[in-house]
Amino acid sequence: MRDFLDKLYKIGGYLAAFFLFAIGATILAQIAGRFFGVAIDSTELSGFFLAAMSFLGLAYALKSGSHVRVNLLIRGLRGKSKKAIELWCCGAGALATGYFAFNAVHFAYESFVFGDISPGLIAAPFWIPQSAMALGAVILTIALADEFVIIAKGAAPSYEENIDAVLADEPSDGSVTDAADDRPEKLRA
Amino acid sequence: MGAGITSIILVVAMFLFLGSGIWVAISLLAVGYISLEFFTPSPAGSLMASTIWDASWNWALTALPLFIWMGEILFRSRLSEDMFKGLAPWLSWLPGRLLHVNIVGCGVMAAVAGSSAVTCATVGRMSIPELKKRGYDESMSIGTLAGSGTLGLLIPPSIMLIVYGVIAQQSIARMFIAGILPGLMLVLMFMGFVVIWSWLYPHKTPPRDIRMTFFEKIWSSRRLIPVVCLIAAVIGSIYGGVATPTEAATLGVIGALILAKASGSLNRAAFMESLLSATKTSCMIAFILVAAAFLSIAMGFTGLPRALAGWVNGLGLSAPMLLFVLTIFFAILGCFLDGVSMMVLTASVVLPMVQNAGIDLVWFGIYIVIVVEMAQITPPVGFNLFVLQSMTGRDIVQVTKASIPFFCVMCTGIVVLAAFPEIATFLPQYVVQR
Repeated sequence: MRDFLDKLYKIGGYLAAFFLFAIGATILAQIAGRFFGVAIDSTELSGFFLAAMSFLGLAYALKSGSHVRVNLLIRGLRGKSKKAIELWCCGAGALATGYFAFNAVHFAYESFVFGDISPGLIAAPFWIPQSAMALGAVILTIALADEFVIIAKGAAPSYEENIDAVLADEPSDGSVTDAADDRPEKLRA
Repeated sequence: MGAGITSIILVVAMFLFLGSGIWVAISLLAVGYISLEFFTPSPAGSLMASTIWDASWNWALTALPLFIWMGEILFRSRLSEDMFKGLAPWLSWLPGRLLHVNIVGCGVMAAVAGSSAVTCATVGRMSIPELKKRGYDESMSIGTLAGSGTLGLLIPPSIMLIVYGVIAQQSIARMFIAGILPGLMLVLMFMGFVVIWSWLYPHKTPPRDIRMTFFEKIWSSRRLIPVVCLIAAVIGSIYGGVATPTEAATLGVIGALILAKASGSLNRAAFMESLLSATKTSCMIAFILVAAAFLSIAMGFTGLPRALAGWVNGLGLSAPMLLFVLTIFFAILGCFLDGVSMMVLTASVVLPMVQNAGIDLVWFGIYIVIVVEMAQITPPVGFNLFVLQSMTGRDIVQVTKASIPFFCVMCTGIVVLAAFPEIATFLPQYVVQR
């Protein structure tokens, strides 16, 4: 089960990374097309890729501690009170995202039933990109529920592992590899 | 129920969620849900799904992950080593000498990274030990980094300006163009301050120890020059109107990949790493943005922003007075919220107010980014302070003290920007007229 869940988040993350790459590729096609006098409009497609990237990577970003939260009041907590507050965060978070996931699934399903089509040149059925949103929201909900269970069992939340990544020492070869998690202006230092 | 009570309940709920550590984006979703479900007859669930969907495939936003990716690639290509070596020979003749490396280095890094903590950490990683070795005043080396590290938020291509452009529905290209002059102005003000300081305390600046011929200088900055050229090309193509920000970002990514390949720091692992970490950061920001879009629609349904803007209007505040109040408000908010969250959280209420007062929204974007920058170096949650604290091993009080002069320089910068709004609005207007 543990393995399956971790794979699920990772696959979501890699899919999201693929879609980020795909945004670049479609835009490149648009630029190249203009250069050769072919009109390629990637506005719509890259928008869909953007949405897919944003939602599919949510759980992966959560697990690696990328999502920002206000840590000012809770960072001093230890022991039981710390556990309680993290349970509250994950529990309430899972409820809220679960509500969103439910509605996102319903939304995509309705688009499918009514045959909604995107307004641009591609005229793609809307339910395809929308199901990426639904899927991403579902995975995020699972991830939060998963965290809830992890914390309830007494382990540290996995989103806190790299709390001090900002100043992680450089590896000996001189290249900075641990930059991954210091990009967001986090509040948790 | 009156607008007063409704807004109090929503504000309390927001503080409760945020304060107890619930992720910012999820807090926004929850408050949006509460305001729709309990204070309006509208269906919360379907509105949530449809507004979030509409916000998530916004074409203007596609520039954001690409610029973040470009920064991630460049960031991995030994930039922090090259920065000191490449800049020091050119700047050591100025009064204040190598302290200027911090400022200019941050200015360049800001264009690459778009985040102030990264800017600060990358430049400081090399320059703090070097400056210390040469006997520079410690508090000045920390202060210059703290202050100019915040430039990452303003100097284009800036993530912050993309976020603002999206929520205020302003053209991102215009925001970028508007950010150029104020960014340069702040760099010059920081440098000016260092020059004046070194005139006042001549004995605190160590003697000049780098003397090179012109070609030696070029040689020592051989790896930095291409990066600067790439940035110039990216911003230039937006400025010249040949590329949209998204297209410029794509070309920037390709350029960055070529540079990284040429410097030998690009392999499969580094490529995947840059892509994945750009994905994580983009997901984080996109999640906050779409959640804020939902909150903003939900607030619109309750009619609160209109009521509040009307109320502020009724106070008859003049535009400068309104700005002053907003600055204080943001300074307080900045004590516990990060820049992006602060901006999206207040946008639905503040932007109508500002527009009502006849303030240009492009100008206001630049203004608010500088205010957010200032919040980065005010305790208790000034992120740059934390970065410097752990990097130097000095306590937060010392780091804060060192940053105070530069905080004051930024305050002056804001006043100058308010007195001469053309600093931000001239270039965009000029480009449009052309």
